Amino acid sequence: MNDAAAAKRVHIIQGEYKVVTDPDVVLSTILGSCVAACLRDPVAGVGGMNHFLLPGSAGAMTSGGDATRYGVHLMELLINGLLKKGARRDRLEAKIFGGAKTIASFSNVGEQNAAFATQFLRDEGIPIVGSSTGGEHGRKLEFWPISGRARQYPLTGAETQKTVALEQRPVVPPKPIETSIEFF
Amino acid sequence: MSLAEKIKVLIVDDQVTSRLLLSDALTQLGFKQITAAGDGEQGMKIMNEQPHHLVISDFNMPKMDGLGLLHAVRSNPATKKAAFIILTAQGDRALVQKAAQLGANNVLAKPFTIEKMKAAIEAVFGALK
Repeated sequence: MNDAAAAKRVHIIQGEYKVVTDPDVVLSTILGSCVAACLRDPVAGVGGMNHFLLPGSAGAMTSGGDATRYGVHLMELLINGLLKKGARRDRLEAKIFGGAKTIASFSNVGEQNAAFATQFLRDEGIPIVGSSTGGEHGRKLEFWPISGRARQYPLTGAETQKTVALEQRPVVPPKPIETSIEFF
Repeated sequence: MSLAEKIKVLIVDDQVTSRLLLSDALTQLGFKQITAAGDGEQGMKIMNEQPHHLVISDFNMPKMDGLGLLHAVRSNPATKKAAFIILTAQGDRALVQKAAQLGANNVLAKPFTIEKMKAAIEAVFGALK
């Protein structure tokens, strides 16, 4: 309880990302089939986390699909946020969590989400220094962005069901303020 | 030969995945001559060696950002006529105004759809097919 009491806890929900430089901050989230990417630059002392569920089916995951573009966008927001706070792309390291198997749907959305995150990080040359993905149970995740320490607790079957049900609600991808600006 | 096939496009983005997605989208629109760079400096080097007709550049990049590249492209008589589209993950008015001042043809917010990209390119070059 000691470190939990001392820590400033910041909870992240689906579609959000946070970047912090305060070593006392712990980022937390609850994952069913969603995936959280935890990135940090150990030299600059900056880290962050996002939390996403790619919408759509396996077909939408192919290159150029809406789901892929949405996922790439959420990863880019996190990376841009880190770079703004002094991180360097070549020093970034990642941990990925989540992507539990969902009982509710036929396609394994969780697995696809984890595969997307892995592929993205591999393509960008960001090493994955730790991961825990898949499985039958959801996760409660805590991440200390400066030290890179991560801790997860498995959710019970009922908690997982509840989390997945919440995740499956239709989510409108966050729209930037200006979607398209034409000046002539 | 369609119009798209004649246009030489330069993609500038620091994210490999974004370059791949954009390159895919352009290929679907019929473009054949596509070159890619990872930051503004590299982009300008390519433009100096071989001017391209269209530059599609991310805003947020290390070394030289999208506005820096736009300024460099517009300052060089050999490259200043190139069409320039800026992409941004965080669209805000200040960036759009700055881009307009520096002579950008358009600013597109990420994640963009292929249709939006097509419309932005056609606004400059006319119908692609």
